Amino acid sequence: MGNCCSDVAGGQSAVGGTTSYAVNAPNEAVDAFLRSRGYKGLFSQIELSISAANLRDRDVLSKSDPMAILYMKGSDGSLQELGRTEVVLNSLNPKWIRKYTVTYQFEMVQNLVFRVYDVDTQFQNIDVKALKLEEQQFLGEATCTLSEIVTKSNRMLTLDLAREENSLPGQIRQSGQLMVYAEETVASKTTVELILRCTDLESKDLFSKSDPFLVISKITESGVLVPICKTEVLKNDHNPKWKQISLSIQQVGSKDSPLIIECFNFNSNGKHDLLGKVQKSLAGLEKLHSLAVGENLFIPVLIGQNHPNKVLKSQLFVDKYSENIQHTFLDYLAGGYELNFMVAIDFTASNGNPRLPDSLHYIDPSGRPNAYQRAILEVGGVLQFYDYDKKFPAWGFGARPIDGPVSHCFNLNGSSNYCEVEGIHGIMMAYTSALFNVSLAGPTLFGHVVTNAAQIASGSVARNERKYFILLIITDGVITDLQETKDAFVMASDLPLSILIVGVGGADFKEMEILDADKGERLESSTGRVASRDIVQFVPLRDVHGGEASVVQSLLAELPSQFLMYVRARGIGPNQ
Amino acid sequence: MEKPCNSSKVIEVTVISAEGLLLNRKKPVKKNACVVVRSDPFNSRSTGMDREGGSYPSWNEKLVMELPVRARFITVEAHSGSKLIGTANIPVSDFAGGYLPENYLSFLSYRLRNANGEKNGIINLSVKVKGEGAKSGCGGGGSCTASCSGRPWTGVPPVDGSKVSDLGIVTGIPVRYRY
Repeated sequence: MGNCCSDVAGGQSAVGGTTSYAVNAPNEAVDAFLRSRGYKGLFSQIELSISAANLRDRDVLSKSDPMAILYMKGSDGSLQELGRTEVVLNSLNPKWIRKYTVTYQFEMVQNLVFRVYDVDTQFQNIDVKALKLEEQQFLGEATCTLSEIVTKSNRMLTLDLAREENSLPGQIRQSGQLMVYAEETVASKTTVELILRCTDLESKDLFSKSDPFLVISKITESGVLVPICKTEVLKNDHNPKWKQISLSIQQVGSKDSPLIIECFNFNSNGKHDLLGKVQKSLAGLEKLHSLAVGENLFIPVLIGQNHPNKVLKSQLFVDKYSENIQHTFLDYLAGGYELNFMVAIDFTASNGNPRLPDSLHYIDPSGRPNAYQRAILEVGGVLQFYDYDKKFPAWGFGARPIDGPVSHCFNLNGSSNYCEVEGIHGIMMAYTSALFNVSLAGPTLFGHVVTNAAQIASGSVARNERKYFILLIITDGVITDLQETKDAFVMASDLPLSILIVGVGGADFKEMEILDADKGERLESSTGRVASRDIVQFVPLRDVHGGEASVVQSLLAELPSQFLMYVRARGIGPNQ
Repeated sequence: MEKPCNSSKVIEVTVISAEGLLLNRKKPVKKNACVVVRSDPFNSRSTGMDREGGSYPSWNEKLVMELPVRARFITVEAHSGSKLIGTANIPVSDFAGGYLPENYLSFLSYRLRNANGEKNGIINLSVKVKGEGAKSGCGGGGSCTASCSGRPWTGVPPVDGSKVSDLGIVTGIPVRYRY
């Protein structure tokens, strides 16, 4: 999560040697190709250390012998055990040594449950993994989310341990405190920066040279290739030199883990031709760099031939190899950076009459959320933990407030002075209330709400606030002001702002995908200015299938990279 | 008669890179690409030549220059050797004024257009206004007091290729944005 691939931070260094924005935009066709091969994006490994204070003493002649267990709570309420500490003898204030390793995923709410048990003396020589919990005395339980821990400035959270009294069901009794401390593993922060080039690539295109790009994959123990990084596509080039790419040691495994570097010729249909590959570890790439020599690419030949691989004259060179420790997304959170959530909701007439069940705005009496509510809950549910005051600007657009003209940006709370509401619950209340106080109209224009969000973001910059803004736009239709919206997005691309667009309903969202810098085309304004970075992402909500991770999660997964791109380009450190 | 205003502010323009530079609309630039930045007809700075990057050159070169207070544009020209590849006019309002505080590092990318007004690559740069020229942040209190009634950003379509001026420069009209 704290590391970046080439499409995230590119190769150029701007003022002060930091990473620049101005790079080829992510290429959707290549991204889809990688996802089909198992590319999962970036993540961080967190080590959790825990201690407790003032535990209940359950032993008669001595103090309790506590052990703690960590669970991850699933969305269905099920608990998955992640690990157990050792048993600390005779202590009501234990400091456990064994750490838990948890993979932090920004795009999900990761609910943690800690349970503390007093281990009976007769079991103290047994491996903790083999202990039967029903035979131990339960001391208490504490819950929190992983994001609550990592957003604390010292990455430490104190939780109250509680337990239900057997004699008084429903009565919760305090049973001491649990202190949880989170630390990112060093491997998450150690980054290898590479500049790779190839020579004498073969031509696969009929009337032009190849359009090469590289995919770097690690080999799992079962022999499966998992892509971890890619370069940009260079058009018409047989001797390409790609922009700098960054890999975290953690993504790779270790410096000696084997990597496969494949060179493909880009085809817009997604069927990319293999131009050749190389197998090398990071240590091997470092050696190529220090010796300033190339490695020949090879093409695997069908089984049954005498020679397993056909060696090509094409070569791979490593023009730069350097290792450094980079500030990660979590470093910025611990340094006090906030992610501020804003939402804009489409109130155009194409949503249908809110009083009828076939309307996208229909409020189901059973409490089942409609598509708009689902999007708010899914995105806001994750982002709320990163916003300290939990006051969220909320707007509507495309409706006619009572006795007024059509407004393309009105405050959802009905106020003419301020646009903030309290918490996710506040957004839901304001949304429901607005449905009964405005009449749906049109057309669908984004320009005004984007301008407003940009104004808030730029005002924050002027006040030197450590904030990054995320605007969620939920819409049912194709926008009418496409060029004006592009202009607004391009102007906003230089601000601490990301825009998530969620499409609801069955409309054709082709134009929305244009806004998402599809096929590597960067957004361009009517005055010739081009987006300095990709800040817009679009996803249709109908793509969610039962049992699959929500598409909204894939939207959110990109935010840490967009945030890092902004701060790194400006040379902003976590404590600046 | 009013005395002409000679005051100016200092700007740091870092020319970062360019993308997709072509000669004669089809042949990728091989080498020796450089960039000239002009703040007025008599004040220009140039990068060195990129000898390796081909049609995707990078310079990462900081050019410090004066910007007359009344200037409305800076002009960026990409060259390959002695040949002009393309030009972009950058409105001063894109990096100075509005909400943006003094010393704000703006990252800007612009479409280059050749002498016929046709698209020919993209130039990536950053601009920082030094000195007293840049307007400081607005004094608005809460982050959210701005009403929703304001007009969204608007732009002016690029000049039609057939009606382009002899100099082959894209005509850009500065638009007052709300930040």
